[in-house]
Amino acid sequence: MNAIFKVNETFRNDFTFCNSPAAIRRFPLPFAEDEYMYSVNIEPHLPGPQGSVSEFAFDVDEHYVAECHEREIVLANEPLRFQALPHMMSAQWDCLELIMESLARDYPKHFSLSKRNNHWQWSNGPLNMEQRFTFGDAATLPRPPLDYITRQAQGDFVVMDQREGNLWCEAGMVTTQADWSLDFDMGMTFKEWHGPVPLAHEMGVFDRAIKFLLNLRLGQPVRRLNWTMTVNPRLDTSPENYPHWGPDRASVNAANAGDLVHLRVELQGLWRLPRSNAVVFGIRCYLISLRELATIPKWARRVHRVLKKLHPALVDYKGLTRYREPAIAWLAPFDDGSPTTPGTSPE
Amino acid sequence: MLITGIKSKPIYTPLSFDASGRYHILLGAGVGANPLLRVLAEMKKTVPQSMIHARVLFKNASAIEATAGNVSESELAFRAVETVELRVFNNVASLLADFHILATGSLMGTRLYVAGPESFIGLAMQIALQFNLNQDEIRAEECGSLARRVFCIHCRAITDEVVTNIVKCACQRWLLVRDHYSRRLAAYMGVMADAEAPGELPEMREVFR
Amino acid sequence: MSAQTITVEITSIAQVTPLIKHFRLKATTGGYLPAFSGGSHIIVVMRGQKRIHRNPYSLLSSPNRLEHYEIAVRRMDESRGGSHFLHDVVKIGDQLEIAHPVNLFGLEKQARKHILIAGGIGITPFLAQLEDLRCGEVPYELHYSVRSHEHAAFLQHLGTREATRVSMYYDNEGATLNFEELLAKQPLGTHVYVCGPAGMITRVIDTARSYGWPNSHVHWEQFNAPPVGDAFDVFLARSKISVHVVPDQSLLECIEAAGVEVPYLCRGGVCGFCHTRVLELDGELLHHDHYLSANERTTGKSIMPCVSRAKAKRLVLDL
Repeated sequence: MNAIFKVNETFRNDFTFCNSPAAIRRFPLPFAEDEYMYSVNIEPHLPGPQGSVSEFAFDVDEHYVAECHEREIVLANEPLRFQALPHMMSAQWDCLELIMESLARDYPKHFSLSKRNNHWQWSNGPLNMEQRFTFGDAATLPRPPLDYITRQAQGDFVVMDQREGNLWCEAGMVTTQADWSLDFDMGMTFKEWHGPVPLAHEMGVFDRAIKFLLNLRLGQPVRRLNWTMTVNPRLDTSPENYPHWGPDRASVNAANAGDLVHLRVELQGLWRLPRSNAVVFGIRCYLISLRELATIPKWARRVHRVLKKLHPALVDYKGLTRYREPAIAWLAPFDDGSPTTPGTSPE
Repeated sequence: MLITGIKSKPIYTPLSFDASGRYHILLGAGVGANPLLRVLAEMKKTVPQSMIHARVLFKNASAIEATAGNVSESELAFRAVETVELRVFNNVASLLADFHILATGSLMGTRLYVAGPESFIGLAMQIALQFNLNQDEIRAEECGSLARRVFCIHCRAITDEVVTNIVKCACQRWLLVRDHYSRRLAAYMGVMADAEAPGELPEMREVFR
Repeated sequence: MSAQTITVEITSIAQVTPLIKHFRLKATTGGYLPAFSGGSHIIVVMRGQKRIHRNPYSLLSSPNRLEHYEIAVRRMDESRGGSHFLHDVVKIGDQLEIAHPVNLFGLEKQARKHILIAGGIGITPFLAQLEDLRCGEVPYELHYSVRSHEHAAFLQHLGTREATRVSMYYDNEGATLNFEELLAKQPLGTHVYVCGPAGMITRVIDTARSYGWPNSHVHWEQFNAPPVGDAFDVFLARSKISVHVVPDQSLLECIEAAGVEVPYLCRGGVCGFCHTRVLELDGELLHHDHYLSANERTTGKSIMPCVSRAKAKRLVLDL
């Protein structure tokens, strides 16, 4: 990670968030073709190319410090955006270990972890934090373990207990979500939690996914990409705060769509946790404005085509109804009809 | 945003006697007494009376939405069933408190049967969850009013007995009632109906009768 | 999806009963082994002179102590070689490969009470689970049945720490575990776990059912060693090769030896991961797994190659 942290950018009010040219080029475009439909697009979470978002277990990028600040703002107003049922304590520790070990291993310039038996010392350079604690003893941390560590990580985390041949959403930190509520969904099965997703149930996507995830193995995490769109670079598009961000959707026109409309991509990672046998679902959100996206000609053509052909049920589910047309209109001048090369690379 | 057809909406099936169980707890509200009577008739032949406990809610104004004649008939029938331990309650809270006590003293091998409006089933399920009753130990049949308990996703207030597609919450927002259901909260999700365009509300319709 | 392996070194071997040996393993790279949850097993890969054995063994060491793993191995009467290899061939300092732990026998975290029932070598997964239970607030009890005092493995291990929670049953003293009494009057939310000989598992399952316990509260684990049987031939349709299955190797082992990978987790007929479609069959399948339903067995469309065999003129698998 050579990027310099953009510590002052914001994801609300004045929305100063933007991507550097390097961040644009590494953006995880989820469209390998000019059309989009669901698939069980799960692949092993193996290290990707150097500099890519999948190079490491958890990607730390130029937005790290700003995203951690944004999370603190959300939690200060709405503490229930972090929740954990009592039986999830061992899973909380598992998550803390997974994230600390990964960050310390993958970004040694910024993070360090030393262990002597259960006596751990954690150091987070970018956020200027130091903590000594006893692994397994929650009283030695200032907050519950999952709360503590996910305030120092980008993306949302949901922890699922495994029992009765099912996965149950029973702990999580969710402040950068695409219109779903941890508070409401706590205690649900994997399928209930994904209940509001159209079409995919009928296609058997969740039946196959759950079967796969129940057999997820230690040391063999998997990942997939998902996407939607958001008006303004707003990370917190929670149902709780829909009254605040809902009106944004009506503010888009063909002239401002390039700056207001953002493609929102989730890099979802799933890990089996060792002590709890639970599964942690990491949902890391990447934002890019259409204007930034259009600096890559192939991507502009592709996104234009994907939006034009998108299934009506997905248009509604992704909340695009009010601004899909302006977005397509804004992208149209970038699409000369020439073919795109297969895959997602910039050219 | 998906409003209807959401897969978290529970599916209920008509109650029937689960012969694999050893002890049986029956909870009913209002017209829910009728399915319980049906199950009782099935189990009476084989299950000793000491292993059956019934708790029924009558005279709850909200629960007795269906024909009064039907309910009073059930009530009479229930009172006539002297072979099981039956307690009748006139409010949900005291019935649920009694169920909690009953569950505390109950043994593995118990099956739970719940019949009544979904709001009643949901509240009974919340207690069943505390006792780690799994899906293979519980049966539920929805009958009577389809009125919903609605959880406001913005202020967390619960509005009971919602029969319309939109409802005004205590926080003064108009909520659209979605099919998304939480067993933990025993409620459906209500989300602001006119957030994107203030004042642009769908026509109010009575849909949960 | 076959497992990545970890190379371990045997640091101690102890004969704990006339039939059971106890092994301690550490990572050859030094440092900690992967964390795990009580009830997990590892697959131990043993490279014998003639063939490779891959056997599942429950981890019995504390999930809180990851400097080493511990397993216990009972010498099997009709061993095809795995337990024989560990009992008679390996020595301290030898290296083995193991797969990451997998848990198919975890404790239910929302249980209101746990009852653990062990028979003989079946004590092993519970030893690790007790480490977790001891730190929690949920009541639990262990019922441990063995042939005689000399066969009671890890008793000292239990005796000092779990005296009030453990009930011992010695067959030779006529002390038998009364399953009816144990399961008749347990509070709502109790889960029962059993690991031991097949007869004991069946007794627990049947007794629990007769007292109305639902399946979701009854948990058991028994790794079947792949049984020895007659040789047979199988054709792998997608790989387009024939494989000869010898008497003392499993179908899965022979398929692997022919260079075809089959996904697996437990290699003991439990997890269902190696579930394979049968495309053609002239003869009968000899099912030895705990996974397929009675109905699936009779239709003859599926086989679990880790433990099951066939007596057939022709068998074609979707591999």
